[in-house]
Amino acid sequence: MCFLPLAAVNADKFLPMVKQLLSGLGVSAVIFFLTLLFALPLGLLIASGRRSKWAAVRWFFQLFISVMRGTPLMLQLFIWYFCPFYLFDIPLSDLAFCGIEYRYSAVIIGFSLNYAAYFSEIYRAGIEAIPRGQYEAAFVLGYSKSQTFFRIILPQVIKRIIPPVTNEVITLVKDTSLAFSLSVLEMFTVARQIASAETTMMPFIIAGVFYYIFNFLVAGFMAFIEKRLAYYKG
Amino acid sequence: MKLFTASNIKKSFGKNCVLRDISLEIEKGEVVSIIGPSGSGKTTFLRCAAMLETPDSGVLEYDGVTGFDNGYKIDKKSFIEARSKFGMVFQNFNLFPHFSVMRNLTDAPACVRKIPAKELELQAKGLLEKMGLGGRENAYPCELSGGQQQRVAIARALMNQPEILFFDEPTSALDPELTLEILKVIRALAAENMTMVIVTHELEFAKEVSDRIIFMADGVIVEEGRADELIDDPKNERTRAFISGFKK
Repeated sequence: MCFLPLAAVNADKFLPMVKQLLSGLGVSAVIFFLTLLFALPLGLLIASGRRSKWAAVRWFFQLFISVMRGTPLMLQLFIWYFCPFYLFDIPLSDLAFCGIEYRYSAVIIGFSLNYAAYFSEIYRAGIEAIPRGQYEAAFVLGYSKSQTFFRIILPQVIKRIIPPVTNEVITLVKDTSLAFSLSVLEMFTVARQIASAETTMMPFIIAGVFYYIFNFLVAGFMAFIEKRLAYYKG
Repeated sequence: MKLFTASNIKKSFGKNCVLRDISLEIEKGEVVSIIGPSGSGKTTFLRCAAMLETPDSGVLEYDGVTGFDNGYKIDKKSFIEARSKFGMVFQNFNLFPHFSVMRNLTDAPACVRKIPAKELELQAKGLLEKMGLGGRENAYPCELSGGQQQRVAIARALMNQPEILFFDEPTSALDPELTLEILKVIRALAAENMTMVIVTHELEFAKEVSDRIIFMADGVIVEEGRADELIDDPKNERTRAFISGFKK
């Protein structure tokens, strides 16, 4: 029976299945790390735009965050993927980057912008939670604005935002599966393909275990950072 | 020799006029306390003096360097020079919690004035010894008592070798025993001819440490005089009422 996964998959098929899923996991991991690489600094930039003294800049970033958080990520992925063609008449094949299909770039753009919006609000909450006295002390000690931010404020912000960032990062691991909507061969897409071809649930179970292990490692790493930063209170 | 001059300082927050034409001169080596009821404007004045608030009008000069002149643009060099003339000690210490005691003292001069780390560490160790905090270089602020944190804050302010130190209610977050620790430190600084302006609610403390006391109410200087004279024999009715309120 196809609903009895262990019965439906013999040992000959199990190892190749795991190998295929691992290659999909590799793609998921690349999406995950590239998204973090772009979204974490971008979030900081958006947070500072959101706190700008110029109302127009503030409103722009407020609108951006609102749209990113208010619409489904899958829909955003479709928009990033199709907009070059429908809006600018650029064939998608022309947008291949270093031989990599544009669908991969669209996924990274979509994920990075979406997650940057969420991260920016976390940063903003962290920045606003730092007592005004820290800025004042830095000012009278002669620090410049950028020195104040990068030496005094940001390290304290990072300590405060680790728990909410951990939540987002764990969600990101699971959200990488949304890349299947653009037929990117990440782990969930691979699992679906194998499940259809072999009429078995086994790939989903293995993929589930892999996602869980991935998240377990991510949560462990974040807990390690949190512990490393626990050397002071405040 | 005048180290700090404030002339005709005015400051309002919205419709609330907090400082009405405050003028004050501080001589080198003088310890001046500013007392007054809550809302009298004493902390706002000190914050203006420390450039943490911008006055609406008036002039602020620090050892001959203009830091504020009726809202006219001060060039960046003068602004930075004026700022380097003073240090500030806050009510809540405002130490940087992620830095050790040593780094709280050395980071700003290393980063701002580019002084070599070894030189700074020697200076910081000397200051910490003087503050009774020898051996606590590697502690973090959260591991120190309030009195110790305030002494670290004073040492941090002294690292920049300011001409004048501003204190904003330095003992109001401390119990009487810890207040004594700070009193001792301020006395020691006064003995070294350090110029200090202290905003405080504590009359005995002000009397103990100051050469001169200024009584402020409703944004104006009501009375000023020698510390013992003003506390023991105030001339103005308003000052008398304030001080007798405390003595009851």
